[in-house]
Amino acid sequence: MLLRETGLTLLSISLAFGVGCIILWAGGYSIPAVFANLWKGAFGNKISIGQTLTQATPIIFTSLSFLIAFRCGLFNIGAEGQMYMGAMTAAVVGIYLKLPGVLHVLVCLLAAGAAGAAWGWIPGYLKAKRGVNEFVTTMMLSSVAIYFTDLLVAPRMFLHDTRYGSNQTVRVLQTAVLPKLLRPTQVTWAIVVGGGVVLLVWYYLFRTRSGYELRAVGQSPSAAEYGGISVKRKIVLAMCMAGFVAGLAGAGEVLGTHTRFISGFSPGYGWDGIAGGLIARAHPVGVLFSAFLMGALRAGSMQVQRSGAAPGDIASVLQGLVIFFVIAPTLIRRLIRWRRR
Amino acid sequence: MNIFTIHLLLRTLRLSSPIALIALGETYSERVGIINVGVEGTAVLGALVSALVSFYTGNAWVAVIAAVIGGGLAGALHALWCIQFRANHVVSGVAVNILVAGLALFITSALWKSRGTSASAPTINAWYIAGSALVIVILSQIFIFHTRWGLRLRVVGEKPEAADTAGINVHRTQYIYTIVNGMLCGLAGAYFFNNLGYFVNGMVGGRGFIGIAAMVIGNYSPVGALGAALLFGFADALQMSLQGYIPSQVSLMLPYLLTVLVLAVLIKRAQVPAALGKHYIKQ
Amino acid sequence: MPEYAVEMRGIVKRFPGVVANDGIDFALERGEIHGLLGENGAGKTVLMSVLYGLYYPDEGEIVINGTPHRHYRPARAIGLGIGMVHQHFMLVPRLTVAENIMLGQEPTKRGVLLDRDAAIRKIEAFSQQYGLPIDPRARVNQLPVGEQQRVEIIKALYRGADTLILDEPTAVLTEQEAESLGEALQRLKAENKSTILITHKLREAIGMCDRITVLRKGRVVGTVHAKETNERELAEMMVGRDVVFTVHRSERTGECETALTAEGITACDDRGLEILKGIDLELRRHEVLGIAGVQGNGQAELAEVLSGLRPTTGGRISLGEMDLSGRNARAFIDAGIAHIPSDRHLRGLVMTFSLRENAILGRQQEKAFSPSPFWQRQGAITRFTREIIDAFGVKTPSAGTLAQNLSGGNQQRLIIGREVTKNPCVIIAAQPTRGLDVGGIEYVREQLLKMRDQGAAVLLISMDLDEVLTVSDRIAVIYDGRIVATRDPDTVDRRDLGELMLTGSLSGTPQPGEAT
Repeated sequence: MLLRETGLTLLSISLAFGVGCIILWAGGYSIPAVFANLWKGAFGNKISIGQTLTQATPIIFTSLSFLIAFRCGLFNIGAEGQMYMGAMTAAVVGIYLKLPGVLHVLVCLLAAGAAGAAWGWIPGYLKAKRGVNEFVTTMMLSSVAIYFTDLLVAPRMFLHDTRYGSNQTVRVLQTAVLPKLLRPTQVTWAIVVGGGVVLLVWYYLFRTRSGYELRAVGQSPSAAEYGGISVKRKIVLAMCMAGFVAGLAGAGEVLGTHTRFISGFSPGYGWDGIAGGLIARAHPVGVLFSAFLMGALRAGSMQVQRSGAAPGDIASVLQGLVIFFVIAPTLIRRLIRWRRR
Repeated sequence: MNIFTIHLLLRTLRLSSPIALIALGETYSERVGIINVGVEGTAVLGALVSALVSFYTGNAWVAVIAAVIGGGLAGALHALWCIQFRANHVVSGVAVNILVAGLALFITSALWKSRGTSASAPTINAWYIAGSALVIVILSQIFIFHTRWGLRLRVVGEKPEAADTAGINVHRTQYIYTIVNGMLCGLAGAYFFNNLGYFVNGMVGGRGFIGIAAMVIGNYSPVGALGAALLFGFADALQMSLQGYIPSQVSLMLPYLLTVLVLAVLIKRAQVPAALGKHYIKQ
Repeated sequence: MPEYAVEMRGIVKRFPGVVANDGIDFALERGEIHGLLGENGAGKTVLMSVLYGLYYPDEGEIVINGTPHRHYRPARAIGLGIGMVHQHFMLVPRLTVAENIMLGQEPTKRGVLLDRDAAIRKIEAFSQQYGLPIDPRARVNQLPVGEQQRVEIIKALYRGADTLILDEPTAVLTEQEAESLGEALQRLKAENKSTILITHKLREAIGMCDRITVLRKGRVVGTVHAKETNERELAEMMVGRDVVFTVHRSERTGECETALTAEGITACDDRGLEILKGIDLELRRHEVLGIAGVQGNGQAELAEVLSGLRPTTGGRISLGEMDLSGRNARAFIDAGIAHIPSDRHLRGLVMTFSLRENAILGRQQEKAFSPSPFWQRQGAITRFTREIIDAFGVKTPSAGTLAQNLSGGNQQRLIIGREVTKNPCVIIAAQPTRGLDVGGIEYVREQLLKMRDQGAAVLLISMDLDEVLTVSDRIAVIYDGRIVATRDPDTVDRRDLGELMLTGSLSGTPQPGEAT
């Protein structure tokens, strides 16, 4: 069963890349050159792999965020905004609170998660209490969060770092920094936290009663209600947890990669999380793979851009194509049957 | 009457029109049971195609038509995925959004060497599109509730089995109106381009999703969608007027905050088509 | 004019894993009422769906009015004069009667706009002609079931049906309503319309039809004249063995103390209209209480209220000392009330979950399975599932099989096993035998009686009046959201029962020749 799922996913990815090749050919680009640079940028050397992992790290969290909500039948597309709220909170706690080393980091992480959870709570509550579609509300609140955090670090605002022109905070205290893991790359301990959260999420969903109930609500709210489960409570819980994990993504970036909050720091990690969750077929362990894939695409696209072989954004196109093929269960099956004739 | 107010009114009417078009399009597709959250991406596609075609042909009218066709194709793709391959409707719509976002970056980089921005191209007066939106909404209201095709499409979304046994082709109906949805979104995208004069990443800025919210608040009717769109258009217009008086981030936030508030307060669980989101399997 | 309105020759229709129709020959004379009799799964509905164009036959020929036809869709069947009234009505609840009826053949003004008035006039004409009273302007979701059925029939006639297929039409009607239907069919016959009546009810087949064709396991067993046969003979043809008509219900053992009391329960349905208007009920240990009533009088909502799935707007539910009014499903489960839901796909099981995950649905919080919210004993759950599978005869490859891959009967066995092993003091069994075959039905009834013998209080809600009469120790009749009478099933008069179910009271005046 698991093997077949993996096989289907790999097939989807191949098909997507195939269509991508057609697009490249239509644009007159050299397909070998593009793929060579894609590979080089993602896996070519230690620095490249480091770049892949660095890009993948926040995507692990945002993919989990989408996944948790999805397992409860909800569409959280506001991970980007929840991440920003988490990031801002991590920065504030990292700058103004004085605590010894590891403790400071933990407190920052928890605070960031809590901020993300609060931002996820709003659409969760509205859905549970008033039946408001969470798809629209998470999207709206995401934009609000991005503008809001930008405002907080704008010139003349309290958190703004006056030494620079751009909208950002000062550096967090050294005790709050997530140290680098693999010199000379930029990979930080955030990826370890990510791996840990993957395991926690897996354990929660498949080995605990609360997770069982959450999944039941996602698969059949009517049967869940029959089973004595409070559907409303689970919806709110799922959205809070999704927000929490997305908040951690922001903390990872602030405490690890940038060591400060920079407005607009995310090139769309929240959106990659949606792709990552879908490609992983909503399996927590699959997220490690899909986040890694997304990270590789991002890292590779930078090299493609540098080399001039094609616009680096071909990677985004590939990402979109992969999702399209992954989400169509009967398409793949039909193609296999057609091939067999 | 001071200029500020007239300006605001006119701007409201203009800015409502793309939202109204998208909300109307989504009304059509959800009335036949297909959820399409890819309306955001479809509008972006429409804007992109407008810019592209206008740039290369120099004819902005042809560009509008191309945008409509492009939107229709996106709608067809989504319909194909949902109906033929039984993808989850929301997930497929999300995929459309992501794919179009990537394509926009890629194409602008490839053709104009600047990530996410196109060169300027000839435009038509955006009021033409705004005006046509009003006409289309009124015609749609009559179409959906007072013609036989409207009756049939409503039945498909409420109870496809009943439509099937009455001899109506459920899947074909779903394809048609999802494509119509795409075309209307493409037209909305054309509005965005003609309003600005070039394509830039983020020009649609979530208005696709606001359109969906408008459809829900408008209770799945064209006229309702228009009313809700006017509300959101007003917020958009207001936000522009307030720039300079308050920090730009605050005014930019307003339309989004307003959407959440309006949904939270005004949501009624009334008229959702009963078979929305379900895959109809005929024997 | 050809003698036969419809002829079907050598029809074969296959589905994955089963041959639903295996070489069936069927002929419908013009102007006759022809019964198609068989058990669930015998292939009756499939055969008629083939005739109506919903399925294409894999082999065989269909001749309508003397002309053969192949591979047509319902639109064509309608054009050929074949109309079908389905068991589950094909009506759109939110639209009006007129809109539902004119669908597909809408009259128009100036070719574009709907001409609702013209349709209404035509519908009223049909209504008069065939004696089927309906209100074209009403919304379907506000009509009682009997009237909805009349709408369906007129819908078929409106489209020019000469041949009507009625699929289990009396499943939702009382005796008296069924009689009205029978009269309407006679009127159709007088107008030279031909009717095919799909049913699994023997008495109905004999009472309403001219000829009867019996199907068993996809084949024709025989065709007989209604007047020349009896129920016993038909039953034997249907099932192939001498059918025992009643499950043996032994005398009650044990004390009959009260378990669950409902006083003055009021509740609203999904539309917000009051559907339970003051229910008073007493469930007693060692007793099966059967609820008799026509669908739509509140039975479904009663089951939900008594299991905590629907909030009450008034009244009191108490289990001994405990007051359960206004509590949710969790409280009812914890109090020891088990529920076999009427819709096992919607409520009883999470179809995409495995059997082991379904085995603990409603029981996941028990200490044996989960000592805390964050710890689940996977081994214990698997063992428990295997126990249920063995003890209750659930046919499945493994405990990890998905629920949706099991047959209806096996799904129901799992649910029953799950509920029964709770050792509940009260069991609410709502439509427990729906969609099951004869073997499955017998099994479920046995289990319910076993629970009763072991001391549980069983509430049986069933659309099948025979079932209610056979299994219950006591019957309560529900009408318009109230319990209007209680009777002893062994001595009650069926006509009285029917009248109570349909009108809520007894007329009191004995007809000539009848005992009081």
